[in-house]
Amino acid sequence: MKILVVDDSAVMRRIHRNILKERGIDDGDILDAADGQAALEIASRNAIGLFLVDWNMPRLNGLDFVQRIRAIASYAKTPIIMITSEAARYNVVEAIQAGVTNYVVKPIKGEALLDKIGRYLNA
Amino acid sequence: MQVKYINPFLRASVNLFKDYLDLQVESGKPFLLKDPQALYEVSGIIGLAGETRGAVVLSFGRETAIRIVSRLAKQEYLALGNEVLDGVGELINIIAGNAKQDLLEFRIEISLPGVITGKNYKIHWPEGVPVVCIPFSCEFGDFSVNVSLKDIA
Repeated sequence: MKILVVDDSAVMRRIHRNILKERGIDDGDILDAADGQAALEIASRNAIGLFLVDWNMPRLNGLDFVQRIRAIASYAKTPIIMITSEAARYNVVEAIQAGVTNYVVKPIKGEALLDKIGRYLNA
Repeated sequence: MQVKYINPFLRASVNLFKDYLDLQVESGKPFLLKDPQALYEVSGIIGLAGETRGAVVLSFGRETAIRIVSRLAKQEYLALGNEVLDGVGELINIIAGNAKQDLLEFRIEISLPGVITGKNYKIHWPEGVPVVCIPFSCEFGDFSVNVSLKDIA
């Protein structure tokens, strides 16, 4: 299964990649993008099985990305985990309404993140 | 600016540096920054908009920034390169985003982070709003979180 990590921070992309690799995910199955627009392009060329998406990004932010990707029939039910520093309740509500599957507030340690996303990795 | 607006940023900072990064961080008493330009050499900045307006600046010395971002990324950086600056931006993004959950009076949108380095830069703080500095110290050096947030009348 291919996993797409979408975050404008290179450091966060590295952290998430390392967490996934520690979980046994092959490096070649982890794709990444620095914004929602780039993520849409990658998702159009690859069959993504899980998205890990930040909220605040340039060009196309995470919320708009989720709405756009959900409009594509083949991604209507693909798990999307939003991993963001946005901790306000209204942000969580907005994200769920946009179509995210699970919402994770940064900072989150690797083992806690894997607890949250483990069920989707095993699917 | 009311004290109750400072505490969410203090809590978010302690959660990030002490609980998440496992740093022995001590916070000092917040004080009004008399010279709003008196910051360290590396500063991450986020603007706050929406039902209030303001800015939050996380400011480090150069070595402190390198060492703290190394801890964040679990990778040793030796110089103030692009990834360290990116990491500083991510740290202030986490502080500002996390603080929102305790700022219940208003809905806030946070900007993308910017990072400035050097010794003579100038921050464009919101006009007429005081800047409160929360000083911190840790094994990697001193740093500060600086908050300027307009009161709601």
